[in-house]
Amino acid sequence: MLLRHEGFRRLCQARDLLRELREPSPSIADLARQVQISPFHFIRQFEAVFGVTPHQFRIQTRLDAAKRLLAMGHHSVTDVCMEVGFSSLGSFSALFTRRMGEAPSAYRRRVRAMVQVPGILPADLTPGCLSLMGRLSPTALAGSVRSFREA
Amino acid sequence: MRIKLMSIMVDDQDKALRFYTEVLGFKKKHDIPVGEYRWITVTSPEGPDDLELVLEPNANPAGKMFQEAMFSQGIPLAAFEVSDIGGEFARLTAKGVAFTRQPAQAGPVALAVFADTCGNLIQLYQPA
Repeated sequence: MLLRHEGFRRLCQARDLLRELREPSPSIADLARQVQISPFHFIRQFEAVFGVTPHQFRIQTRLDAAKRLLAMGHHSVTDVCMEVGFSSLGSFSALFTRRMGEAPSAYRRRVRAMVQVPGILPADLTPGCLSLMGRLSPTALAGSVRSFREA
Repeated sequence: MRIKLMSIMVDDQDKALRFYTEVLGFKKKHDIPVGEYRWITVTSPEGPDDLELVLEPNANPAGKMFQEAMFSQGIPLAAFEVSDIGGEFARLTAKGVAFTRQPAQAGPVALAVFADTCGNLIQLYQPA
């Protein structure tokens, strides 16, 4: 698929709109209309560019926001759920647990214990990947080291 | 001092590994869990085995902001050299890849740009 400048710009605009967490959130069809792409093409093009459907993108954005708020520790799970645009605590908890492997309350407890400075997330939660290298086991990169010596 | 690693930020490491191997055709070299994230590197089957591209988790909000701004401005964050840019365009398009620029001559090189589905634009170039 080849996207012209205008089409690409509209998809970026749609992504920004999907990031907004306010309720009530517009339907995907409404968003497609807003960026002037037919709903069918909108979903297809969005997925080709961003690797997920608009709906999946919105859910992921909300879960990411929820993780940040839970880690900050100022809000209850219910507050976080409402804040990021989920209307049902049950569906929020179920979805969060499925994606993260632990319930929001458990995540909040675990991550809060890692926060040293109030309001600032620990580097473990927002890593630069090259810093991850320092946390690998001593033998993990053995293959690279060997090829490096042979070179 | 040697250049052995280059990294690219990706919004989802699973999706990125799939795209960079199954779609682009790179080879997975490392995939090691580190906390919530993974140390993932790929190499090119057409290039040296010890020049690795790190698929870096883009969890830092500052990084995300940078990546999204560059993307919206149409600016690629990496460039890969190819020997048949028309062939790559056809091959990748058939796999559903979205290009924002079809192959065209630009000075000494032919250029094309596509979305990597992980938040980046990537430039392909073929030297004359």
